Amino acid sequence: MWQTEPADSTLTCPFCGLACDDLRVATDGVDPPTLVNGCATAQQAFSTAWVQAPGSPRIAGGPVALDAAIARAAELLAAAHAPLFGGLVADVNGMRAVMDLADHRGALLDHVGGDALFRNLLVLQDSGWMTATLTEVRNRADLILIFGNECTRRFPRLIERVLLPTDALFSPPGQRRLVLLGDWDPESLPATLAAANPTLIPVANTDLAGVCSLLRGLIAGRPVRADAIPGVSGPQLEDLAGRLRAARYAVVTWAAAELDFPHAELTIQGFVELVRDLNRTTRAAALPLAGTLGDVTVNQVCTWQTGYPLRSGRQQNRLRYEPVLYRYQDLLAGDHCDLLLWVQALAGTAAVPSTARPTIVLGHPGMACEREPEVFIPVGLPGVDHPGHWYRSDAVCPLPLGQMRAVGLPSVARVIGLLGERLRVHHG
Amino acid sequence: MLTKLAGGRLYDPTHGINGEVRDLYLRDGQILAAAPVGETPRQTYDLAGKLVMAGAIDLHTHIGGGKVNIARTMLPEDQRNRVRTRTTLTRTGGGHAAPSTFAAGYRYAEMGYTTAFEPAVLPVNARQAHMEMADTPMLDTGGYAMLGSDELLLQLMSEGVGQEVINDYVAWTLHAAQCIGIKVVNPGGISAFKFNARSLDVDERHPHYPLTPRDIVRTLSRAVFELGVPHPLHVHASNLGIPGNHAATLATMDAAEGFPIHLTHIQFHTYGTEGDRHFSSAAGEIAQAVNARKNVSIDVGQVMFGQTVTVSGDTMRQYANHHHAHPRKWTCMDIECDAGCGVVPFRYRDQNFVNALQWAIGLELFLMVDDPWRVFLTTDHPNGAPFTSYPRLIRLLMDRGFRNDQLGQINPEAAAMSCLGSLTREYSLYEIAIMTRAAPARILGLTDRGHLGPGARADITVYHQGDDPEQTFARPMLVFKGGEVVVEEGAVTRVVHGGTQVVRPAFDPAIEQRIGRWFDRYHSIRMANFRISDTEMAAGIGSPVTIHPCRAPGVA
Repeated sequence: MWQTEPADSTLTCPFCGLACDDLRVATDGVDPPTLVNGCATAQQAFSTAWVQAPGSPRIAGGPVALDAAIARAAELLAAAHAPLFGGLVADVNGMRAVMDLADHRGALLDHVGGDALFRNLLVLQDSGWMTATLTEVRNRADLILIFGNECTRRFPRLIERVLLPTDALFSPPGQRRLVLLGDWDPESLPATLAAANPTLIPVANTDLAGVCSLLRGLIAGRPVRADAIPGVSGPQLEDLAGRLRAARYAVVTWAAAELDFPHAELTIQGFVELVRDLNRTTRAAALPLAGTLGDVTVNQVCTWQTGYPLRSGRQQNRLRYEPVLYRYQDLLAGDHCDLLLWVQALAGTAAVPSTARPTIVLGHPGMACEREPEVFIPVGLPGVDHPGHWYRSDAVCPLPLGQMRAVGLPSVARVIGLLGERLRVHHG
Repeated sequence: MLTKLAGGRLYDPTHGINGEVRDLYLRDGQILAAAPVGETPRQTYDLAGKLVMAGAIDLHTHIGGGKVNIARTMLPEDQRNRVRTRTTLTRTGGGHAAPSTFAAGYRYAEMGYTTAFEPAVLPVNARQAHMEMADTPMLDTGGYAMLGSDELLLQLMSEGVGQEVINDYVAWTLHAAQCIGIKVVNPGGISAFKFNARSLDVDERHPHYPLTPRDIVRTLSRAVFELGVPHPLHVHASNLGIPGNHAATLATMDAAEGFPIHLTHIQFHTYGTEGDRHFSSAAGEIAQAVNARKNVSIDVGQVMFGQTVTVSGDTMRQYANHHHAHPRKWTCMDIECDAGCGVVPFRYRDQNFVNALQWAIGLELFLMVDDPWRVFLTTDHPNGAPFTSYPRLIRLLMDRGFRNDQLGQINPEAAAMSCLGSLTREYSLYEIAIMTRAAPARILGLTDRGHLGPGARADITVYHQGDDPEQTFARPMLVFKGGEVVVEEGAVTRVVHGGTQVVRPAFDPAIEQRIGRWFDRYHSIRMANFRISDTEMAAGIGSPVTIHPCRAPGVA
């Protein structure tokens, strides 16, 4: 594994899809160290990681040496006919190793955030889209529509680093217009948003698709009733349609993870079609916010190595891509797999899914499991315990992650590599 | 270990060897000057009657980077239609127009290719391009860094900085993005599209900067030359796909003002406006211009019929062409004040007038450009066709009868508009070896490959000679990579991994202060994270670099 340049004391943060790379560890000797430039989420995540003892590999709850844990995990994998590799919170090299092992063992793959990932991917596969990346939006956006109400909670520095920076090339930040379309209470706007004096259009997430349809109709000059959605102000939509037509570079952003209702991909399709319509006469771009827990990272690796996104199986040495059927929750509930290998190198909100099937967990040291797995192997956090590569939300910039400590925790890539080696030598 | 390749017919244009029967000796991954005295080869291959060439080099093929991965994501049907199952040696993952990295590496090797270059590396996406190429087995790879619509260059040029500042920035970009050449795509046009310009002709002013595409081509071609970078500025010219764009293509050649310039996939830029449909071939004029200008080289970007996907940094033209998407889905992306990308699936049909004429125009260009050292065999994979169609393309060039049969099957109006039927030229094996081996190596400054002389890497392809060149080039008897046999009878028998080929022109590091300030002020990543180090290439990305020398700066 390569080391970051010692002269460079900055860190890249893997704890949300913005992957801010301007974090520095304050050199005042406090323990846990404080961060310069990080958001509260980053501070919390780095501090928690810092104080967490590395722990020991376990078999059925009892501490063992790494070798023994690898040997047991290899035995379990060798006996499995339809293993599911889930979680997949890993850096690029971790995922490269997972892909190699998955190919060898005929495994099914899904990410812990697969639902959110595929809400966007299904749209890309069905129609394509017009998008922009963070720096492009930072310098060019003049009218910004935020759909939903969780973007700034999920991506804490979105306003400061992307939507309303202090300086921009082509669009003065002071003249930008922010429009919030979501389930907002005007009294409880986060301070960063309130400071921007945004236009508020309260609307339930499940009504966003309808709002987009109305906007598209108004923009196209069709005879639509702007007040067709109860509770959503017609005049406000008419005004917004006019602003969208007049904008030089409108940006439409959302976090798919928040749109947690059936067929939300059709709502996202509405956002994307709105952007496409605008581009007939002016410029506009979508900014889908993702990258949480490495979903974009591992999906990129999977896509270039196999040609398919995640949610694919590889039994009988043939690839099969099933974006709807291969949802890990359903595979487990339907007992469609006979082993679970759960990889999670960073802490998330979801627990390791509980299954009666043998379970191997490669987890960050603080990982809690409802049921003690057959094998648990603590792994290092990318960006804390080892360097790596991590994709931002926009899927364009895989950033190098640094290393801030060395406590002997192996990376996902190393553990999976050992597992693969053991399987090839002992189990053919 | 000493290996002898006995009695093959060698085609090595670098050394003027045209089908002579000679033995070759290989040791430690290299070709030896002569038979070592008193030493018996550990292994001897009897190649009597076989054709022996250096491993082929593709100088323009989109095999890595974000746009290819978007194409893969958008087209699961491309995978479903071309399945490649796992073997004890090879990984799963197939595909045709947008193959998986593994499938691309295996298929290239199975056709006798040993080195390939990704021509559109967005500097900000260079890590991904190199990671994908690192996961493309069997091949050495490299990339051309895209400049010319990046706001920093346009800003510097608008400020009127001296050429030496531009040169420093260009050299810095080559270092930072770990690339071997510089490419410009629709000069200034990708940026102009972000300002809502829908076209930008060679002498048209950019909507924001006091610059024209001509200025950008002149400045960058001069920078590349003055830095001593062997590969000329690699240019995807203005007005791609527009009838009448041959004028822009000629203007772009002249914009280089005599500096070396490579015009890529020129077929897409060779369209006239004659005939009832106002779409015609301008291959005669373009070929004549290339023949007359010794500073110009081209690759063709041949169209072959069937389903493919077009991937390009040229968002302006991809957006304009999105109505032709087949299947009906398409993506455009504005990227990091650096560049853009557009992905539009496309099906070329032989009965479609335009598509048929595109096919004919590409072949006309191949046959009317006299010097095979200045015209390269490409389909602009996958934009004109997937690279797997090369063997058929070679047959079209070598076999006039076959070519005319094919001409007889395309849209008759298009056939009538083309002079292809009257062109009698047939490429020889020697000329094929020039355009697929010797010339790409020469124009990229790779002295260690593309030939069979002493000291060359032992990247060698052995073909069966038959009556049908398509069969010959589709299925080599043997492919050696670094002296090891990696393909036998057209199938991978050993999996190897290559490295990244780069150049490192010198520059004044003071440029980093200016670039760093720009990053701090406008970018969402830091300059330090934009640069890729050699250690990161080797240990993190998984593709160690090989540095090729530059010319003495400013010397032709």
